[in-house]
Amino acid sequence: MKRLSFAALALSLVAGGAARADSVLILNSEEASYSILSRSTRTEIARQPVGREPHHLIVSPDGKEVLIGSTATNELLGLDINTGERKRVVKDVIDPYHLGFSPNGKWFVTAAYRLDHVDIYHADGFRLASRTFIDGLPSHLTFDTESKTVFVTLQQSGRLAAFDLETQALKWNVPIGNAPAGVIMLPDNKRLLVALTGEDGIVSVDPKDGTVTGRLQTGRGAHNFWPKGDGKHYFLSNRVEGTVSLIDTTGDMRVAGSIRIPGGPDCMDITPDGKELWVTQRFLRRVAIVDIEQLKVVANIPVGKSPHGVFMLKGTATPGAGPVRAASTAADRR
Amino acid sequence: MRVLTDLWVDTQAWLFETFVSPLLFQFGLMAWYEPGYSAVEFVMLGVVQIAIIAIGMRFFERRWPLEKSGPDDRLIRVDQIYTVLNKLGVVPLAIFILTYPLVQHIELLVRSWGVAPPRLERILPGLGDNALASFLVYFFLYDFAAYWLHRAQHRFGWWWALHSLHHSQRRMTVWTDDRNHVLDDLLITLALVLFSQLVGVQPGEYVMILMIGRLVESWSHANVDMSFGRLGERLLVGPRFHRLHHALSTPEERHIQDHNFAPVFPIWDILFGTAIYDNKHRPTGVDDAAVDRDNGRGWIAQQVTVLGRLTRALLPGVRRSSMQPGLRPPAE
Repeated sequence: MKRLSFAALALSLVAGGAARADSVLILNSEEASYSILSRSTRTEIARQPVGREPHHLIVSPDGKEVLIGSTATNELLGLDINTGERKRVVKDVIDPYHLGFSPNGKWFVTAAYRLDHVDIYHADGFRLASRTFIDGLPSHLTFDTESKTVFVTLQQSGRLAAFDLETQALKWNVPIGNAPAGVIMLPDNKRLLVALTGEDGIVSVDPKDGTVTGRLQTGRGAHNFWPKGDGKHYFLSNRVEGTVSLIDTTGDMRVAGSIRIPGGPDCMDITPDGKELWVTQRFLRRVAIVDIEQLKVVANIPVGKSPHGVFMLKGTATPGAGPVRAASTAADRR
Repeated sequence: MRVLTDLWVDTQAWLFETFVSPLLFQFGLMAWYEPGYSAVEFVMLGVVQIAIIAIGMRFFERRWPLEKSGPDDRLIRVDQIYTVLNKLGVVPLAIFILTYPLVQHIELLVRSWGVAPPRLERILPGLGDNALASFLVYFFLYDFAAYWLHRAQHRFGWWWALHSLHHSQRRMTVWTDDRNHVLDDLLITLALVLFSQLVGVQPGEYVMILMIGRLVESWSHANVDMSFGRLGERLLVGPRFHRLHHALSTPEERHIQDHNFAPVFPIWDILFGTAIYDNKHRPTGVDDAAVDRDNGRGWIAQQVTVLGRLTRALLPGVRRSSMQPGLRPPAE
């Protein structure tokens, strides 16, 4: 009997290890927890507590940690990027709603959505360099590829702001459309894409001065981006419409495909093999799995309340790979 | 359980995406997108609560009534209106719109100082791994605050002027719990929301505490002579325990309503010396003719009348007589 118990324990440990190697993190923003899902079995294998109101997460510049922003407890929880093991808590990061490291790993920036400020930290040691109070719900952020500028959407005031990272000075702050949210910089460093949640599409913006240079209709409540990985195509969640659009950014922008995903689709991530897109369905408390080739939902996994950020644990160590991206939005550099 | 959860979530999402979300989008109210979704759940929970009261609890009242049917049955109708307005979110929505900016302002001010709401899981790490234990601890804390707020409603003349509406019902039933002046509801909600934020109650936990707590309170007002047994009555507030709190004061028991304040857990009355356990049947209501006249009035008339009572309590010059009808807390 005892031997059987040991065997069962050994098997469960092996199974646990296997599950960790292909795990996915989901932040349950209204449950103060994160779910760990298995990609292979498509089930939730654990649910762990985390601060309060976790929304977004980000990979550290050394590629060893994923940092979860716990907005109401003013802290970051660092997990091992391979195993999901808890490594540390970074205190006194006020209202880290959306967060990102500059591509050179020098700067760490947070958008304090509830508290209306943008914080720029020295990434080394998370030392605050500047705090700028700015009107209108700082929502999402992204960087230029040269790590000179951070761009922040202001959801309530309908504006887009740009800050110089070295001086932390505001470069410009311009009206952009109704309720801008997700923002990404295209790889050529010449166009920003901004999703307008209060409208039915996205705009392209000149990063030099914030001039709107193009517009594309995608669906009501356009909200957040995720790169497909080829540098040309991007997925975009349309929360009110209940769809995810595939946008082709080459030449004039166009919608290359659309997938029906009800339940307020929000953040996304792609499996390492590039075959599946995982999308959080905020209102349905589920994660939808999309077959990227067929552009079709192939499965749903129940998770906690109001699932928001999603992240694929790496499984194998990739130090130096430097996946430097603003949580769930900026250009993927894998 | 999974099936029920899925049904609930799917219904909530469907209602929101079909009716609420398009309206918010159309009128440029996307800042209310997430609160709007929570509001749908609030209304759904209200429907469930009304069903439990109207079908489940009323079954016991019909089958084993403490006070038999009589002419005073007509007094119950207004309490049913209170319940529908409260449970379906009309009153809470108005309160939410009024209190949200203030609560937000206080929360943001505190957080901008770098002070984060505490989580009990920090002090008791085991709680983090046990959702039920965590929920119960927060429920206890919430009920503790509600107990002291209830005592304050009886302690201060101006607050009693509002709260006396709740006690004026002579025909106490499962519908009576929601019979409150909107200002009274507003003050209690504001205090409890701030307290919940202070101790770190999660939004999801808050909704469940509210839902379960209010159901227990509806049941504790039921017109039945039932108890949970000797031990159970000391663990959970039941109809017999709470009916004593609504008892009409008499020369022999002038301060009877200053007992059994606890909303859900009687432990607070036991700890602070305000618990009375007996099996004596007492009529309910208030020993104050001016307040007793609430009976027979409709919802609007009650709200207006009680506002007058509050004004007289706050502004002595407005008092109509030296007797100050309707202003005397029963404890005084």
